[in-house]
Amino acid sequence: MNTIPYGKTSKQLVLVLSFILYAFLTTAHGQESWRTDFDETCARTTDAMSLSNNELKVLIAKCDQLQTIIEKQEETVRKVFLKRLQMCKNLYVYVLESKSASEKTPK
Amino acid sequence: MKKISCVLLFLLIGASITWAAGTKKRKLPPYEFGSVTINNYSQQSGMPPVVFDHWIHRQYYTCRLCHVDVGFGMSAGATKIRAADNIKGYFCGTCHNGRTTHNKKAVFDSCAKEYSREAYNSRCVKCHEIEKSTLKEDQFFKFAQNLPKERFGNGINWEKAESEGLIKPIDQLEGVSINKAKLKIQPDFALKSKVEGMPEIIFSHKKHTVWNGCELCHPEIFMGIKRGATKYTMIELFEGKYCGVCHDKVAFPQSDCQRCHTKAVQ
Repeated sequence: MNTIPYGKTSKQLVLVLSFILYAFLTTAHGQESWRTDFDETCARTTDAMSLSNNELKVLIAKCDQLQTIIEKQEETVRKVFLKRLQMCKNLYVYVLESKSASEKTPK
Repeated sequence: MKKISCVLLFLLIGASITWAAGTKKRKLPPYEFGSVTINNYSQQSGMPPVVFDHWIHRQYYTCRLCHVDVGFGMSAGATKIRAADNIKGYFCGTCHNGRTTHNKKAVFDSCAKEYSREAYNSRCVKCHEIEKSTLKEDQFFKFAQNLPKERFGNGINWEKAESEGLIKPIDQLEGVSINKAKLKIQPDFALKSKVEGMPEIIFSHKKHTVWNGCELCHPEIFMGIKRGATKYTMIELFEGKYCGVCHDKVAFPQSDCQRCHTKAVQ
């Protein structure tokens, strides 16, 4: 019976395991990463009124980027986080429009 | 013959008036005020609909926590919650997972893929209500007895109960909520009434943000940017728009005029 030498098998095994671990960690990190981005982006709703127009525009753009990532998640995650994201983005847009309108209004 | 025609005419007019006026809403008992029946998929799966009681939950949690952080919609059935969502730890399953504790007691697990008859009788029926439970009614009155009273709704003045510290609704859930800076509260403002002699409304951001934060109301419910630019009518409010999204359904009813029209008449 032909057997693969022990050293070669273990090397292959280590390689396969490393690949699985890498794939797992990358996925986990990817998930972790968008959640962190989401938390950071939507953390400013309580002080949105004190943000500058530029800061608000950056946050709105981040919301748009996050939307494309969340749309790729599984159904329940997508349902929950798209709603949450929409609420925070809408608030930033609302505050931005409100600020722009008050700047245009002559005092 | 003439008599019969008169009776028929009378019946026809009566039926038309009843049809035109619609059916009068039944005044709900206090423990049922704010209850929401959710039946997107329950009956399809052979389960009774879910009856969600706001009073049980709002004594512990703010509106914002569930309607923003957990992601529940603002109208019954809008979220289309599935048992699978709860099993994964979202929506009801965010807390109802058998692990989360409240007052050192584990919050009961919500849904399961498979369940025994015992589990059905002891667990499923807690939400999928087969019939009205008198136990819940007793629980409500026991809970309400020490809280400030109110004339309408479920008879509890929730705003006063919170401001007096009798209830301490949680606004943050670890692993779910985002850590945010302290909310800078916008000042109160007056809204002029359209009816002469009716006191102006004093809208308190402070009272509302305790429960709702910002994004629950803006811009989804109140989209007007400039104060006073959006004209609300009481008809629209009673139709469930603007203030009527919450008031009449869960928060105190809009028929309690003096709760909003509070500015003293000069």
